[in-house]
Amino acid sequence: MKLASISAVDEEQISDARAAHPGAFRTPWDEVKKWAPWVIAIAYVIGSLIYFDIARLLEASERVLRLLRAMVVWEDMATWQYANIYTGIAQTLAMAFLGTLMGTIGSLFVGFLAAKNVNPSGFLRQIVRRFLDILRGIDQLVWGLVFVRAVGLGPLAGVLAIFISDLGTLSKLYSEAIENIDRKQVEGVRATGAGPLAVIRYGYLPQVLPVFISQSLYFWESNTRSATILGIVGAGGIGMILIERFRAQLYDQVFFVVLNVLALIFIIDWLSKRIRLRAIGEKSH
Amino acid sequence: MTDATITAGGAGAAPRDAVSTYERHRAELRASKRVWNILFLSAFLICLALSIYISRFYPDRLAEGVPRIFEYFATILPDLQWDVLFDGRDENGRAVPGSLTFWYTDFWDYLQLLWETILMAVTATIIGTAVAFVMSFPAANNLAPNSWVYWLSRRFLEICRGIPEILLALVFVFAIGIGPLAGVLAIAIHTAGALGKLFAEVNENASGRPVDGITAVGGTWPEKMLYGVVPQVMPNFFSYAMLRFEINVRASSIIGFVGAGGIGAELNRVISFYSDDRVLAVLILVVLMVTIIDLISEDIRHRFIGKENF
Repeated sequence: MKLASISAVDEEQISDARAAHPGAFRTPWDEVKKWAPWVIAIAYVIGSLIYFDIARLLEASERVLRLLRAMVVWEDMATWQYANIYTGIAQTLAMAFLGTLMGTIGSLFVGFLAAKNVNPSGFLRQIVRRFLDILRGIDQLVWGLVFVRAVGLGPLAGVLAIFISDLGTLSKLYSEAIENIDRKQVEGVRATGAGPLAVIRYGYLPQVLPVFISQSLYFWESNTRSATILGIVGAGGIGMILIERFRAQLYDQVFFVVLNVLALIFIIDWLSKRIRLRAIGEKSH
Repeated sequence: MTDATITAGGAGAAPRDAVSTYERHRAELRASKRVWNILFLSAFLICLALSIYISRFYPDRLAEGVPRIFEYFATILPDLQWDVLFDGRDENGRAVPGSLTFWYTDFWDYLQLLWETILMAVTATIIGTAVAFVMSFPAANNLAPNSWVYWLSRRFLEICRGIPEILLALVFVFAIGIGPLAGVLAIAIHTAGALGKLFAEVNENASGRPVDGITAVGGTWPEKMLYGVVPQVMPNFFSYAMLRFEINVRASSIIGFVGAGGIGAELNRVISFYSDDRVLAVLILVVLMVTIIDLISEDIRHRFIGKENF
């Protein structure tokens, strides 16, 4: 291929081709259509950032320096009440564990109630489902705040918040798993004359248990994550210690606590992956 | 198990030996499984006991607390009366107790805050997606130009998504003051981390042939990404970004708890300071907003995916 053959195509030939095959060339309108979404998105972001007062970032330097300094300079480390911090972490783990456990047990019942193939009553099922939608629609942190108002500050509110929001989500996942099972085993058990509870125990449960376990373990992991921040609204755990130190302007301690939280999250991720592999085998997930 | 049978057969032993080898092996397996089960169960029970002890989750506290929950939910119910339900304000601008207008006195304030919440989510999603888009190419192990760039971008994304967004918001509120900007930045950083990982996974599954083609004609690394990978992954990216937008609407509705803008601040205020029908009024609006946004976003996603034939 010679370069000459390319340069031999002159302007006249190009315009001829453009006239002969208009569809093969881009029109200015195509260019506009191609770029318009990007221009609109960028204009929107710039506009909204100005609306949200982006200029504050420039005035923030003094406080940012204080934060950055607190990351490196840790003062009076002997007086940091480590026992307090690690009790908070233990509390976070306990809240996540109890909340997930209660949520799992509750979802076992509600999940069967919300499953189409177990619960024949359409009306009851709809009520249960709408109720679960409401539980799911409200964020865990809001539940935390509500329970702090109802039962007072402390881990009890956190456990209840995790329980309620898990009940909403896990029941839905459980009922979907139940609806997707193989009918044959259920009919086999029913054919032996078993009662409804025995049908659930021997017909449904063996099929859905692995799914249930893996989902509950996954929720345990994600609840440990969210339990670290539930304390921000006063619902117990490490978050409460974090926000106390933050209000007392002990930023070096805050940074230390945040590092601990991050380490905790990474450990939980790793541990939960191991347990999941052990419980349900290498194949799934 | 197969090993044992083969050696038994190879040694020319009677079939009886093979059976007993099998039985012995099976007994061993069962015993070890039983040991594991007992270990697992006792670990579980220890965890349970410890958790109950640490969080002081005792039956008496629970028995004391649960009735108060129902009492609380009773106090936040509005006292609506049917005969005046749709009455407006009178000439003095006062609403009739028992009417919807009375219940939703601050309706327009709430609506403005909800609008701000949605704007925060949109801006944070766009910024976060843009960062995730750029970072996803060096963070994909088939596309990264070299291993340390790959390592650095992976760790960067991990840190971005590892810190809970409300913590980030707390820090930003301290650094730049109360207001929606802190929330936008916090959510954008978290979005960049979470989406960056998903985008990188999409990139890793993209076909390498277009990239090879562009390498063959002498394309630079950015050109390879732009013309070789981006056209393949765009529909997936868009769908993930829309899903993230739904999550971000939820996040921005609570991020105001620490003063980072949106409806969250109002939600925090009404729950913490009042226990009357205002709590339910705001909660209903938040749930409605989240539901409507979910429906719209789902519709857009289906349309886009349908169009792209994906």
